[in-house]
Amino acid sequence: MSLIHLSFYSAFTLSSLGLAFHRTHLISALLCLESIILSIYIGLSLWPVQNQATSFTLLPVLILAFSACEAGTGLAILVASTRTHGSDHLHNLNLLQC
Amino acid sequence: FILMLSLTLGTMITITSNHWVTAWAGLEINTLAVIPLISKSHHPRAIEAATKYFLTQATASALMLFSSMTNAWSSGQWDITQLTNPPSCLLLTAAIAIKLGLTPFHFWFPEVLQGSSLTTALLLSTAMKFPPTTILLLTSHSLNPTLLSTMAIMSIALGGWMGLNQTQTRKILAFSSISHLGWMTIIITYNPKLTLLTFYLYSLMTTSIFLSMNSTNTLKLSTLMTSWTKAPMLNTTLMLTLLSLAGLPPLTGFLPKWLIIQELTKQEMTTTATTISMLSLLGLFFYLRLTYCSTITLPPNSSNKMKQWSIKKPVNTLTPTL
Repeated sequence: MSLIHLSFYSAFTLSSLGLAFHRTHLISALLCLESIILSIYIGLSLWPVQNQATSFTLLPVLILAFSACEAGTGLAILVASTRTHGSDHLHNLNLLQC
Repeated sequence: FILMLSLTLGTMITITSNHWVTAWAGLEINTLAVIPLISKSHHPRAIEAATKYFLTQATASALMLFSSMTNAWSSGQWDITQLTNPPSCLLLTAAIAIKLGLTPFHFWFPEVLQGSSLTTALLLSTAMKFPPTTILLLTSHSLNPTLLSTMAIMSIALGGWMGLNQTQTRKILAFSSISHLGWMTIIITYNPKLTLLTFYLYSLMTTSIFLSMNSTNTLKLSTLMTSWTKAPMLNTTLMLTLLSLAGLPPLTGFLPKWLIIQELTKQEMTTTATTISMLSLLGLFFYLRLTYCSTITLPPNSSNKMKQWSIKKPVNTLTPTL
């Protein structure tokens, strides 16, 4: 089973690297965030399958519900920043310099 | 007011949780409830602050969920107090450091506080720090003390150094928050009750400072210089509270620092104790500058913002004397 575990770790690491190194658009950061949550969701869905314990099948659904709310909030923030800043380029977000 | 209710709900869910997913859910509810509060004024700075806050907190929540998942794979259970997998502990420490604003993950905090209104900034720096600290407290016996102490010392250093060149009061309070978090984190593996004590006293003092500044609407140092004309009594209590935040002896703020240094010397970490005491002198400089600007000197300054205040101050003149 460690091949599956390795694939989840690598999916998570790739997505988090994509989130850390986003360069021009805010949308790419949001996409990477979504892929992080997706990899966690798929990983968690395998847990009751491996252990044959059906009481854990509620967990991925809960996580999906909360992450959907968060994705919606992220998109709303994207729209708001496009309204105030003109585009979603990251080098426009420099109004609050130290 | 529904957002305050959801904030309370989220905090309660996280505090009373013993399963990782409930803790994560409470933190998500908190994040989602605070984002509209930050971006309420539709000013570009507020929206930018909301963006930065959202991105950092969302990554921290996802990291925490991932660390709990790997821990569950390796140990078979989802209990918060039993973190057995070392990489999970490391990831969890990093996730909570991002959420709290410890160094090296502190970069979002001054800008987010600068972009939000004073009351929202108060909420961000006291109430939103409470659930991650409870998670740290619950897992403190299995976390790496060296990593936590390193992050704490760096936080105190950075909070002091970067606060030296600031003129905006919200940024100054952000850096003071970072250094106080460093003080809280350094003792968490040895005596978690001191962490709680530091947190309570810090939130009390910060609340009174933020509310005093909200009454006189001082967002910059130059406004602070003319605030003595508006409410003289509030100004003197503001000075006392600022000195208490700095940790001067007869005031309450000295108590957590004293107890922390005592506990550290009991654990044979005297160089750490000396280092953090020296570094909090940097913070003392900008607290003294704030008191100097507000109360000690009464110069005729050019920017004279005569703004009307809201009538919240009578409650607050008593809290700094605690």
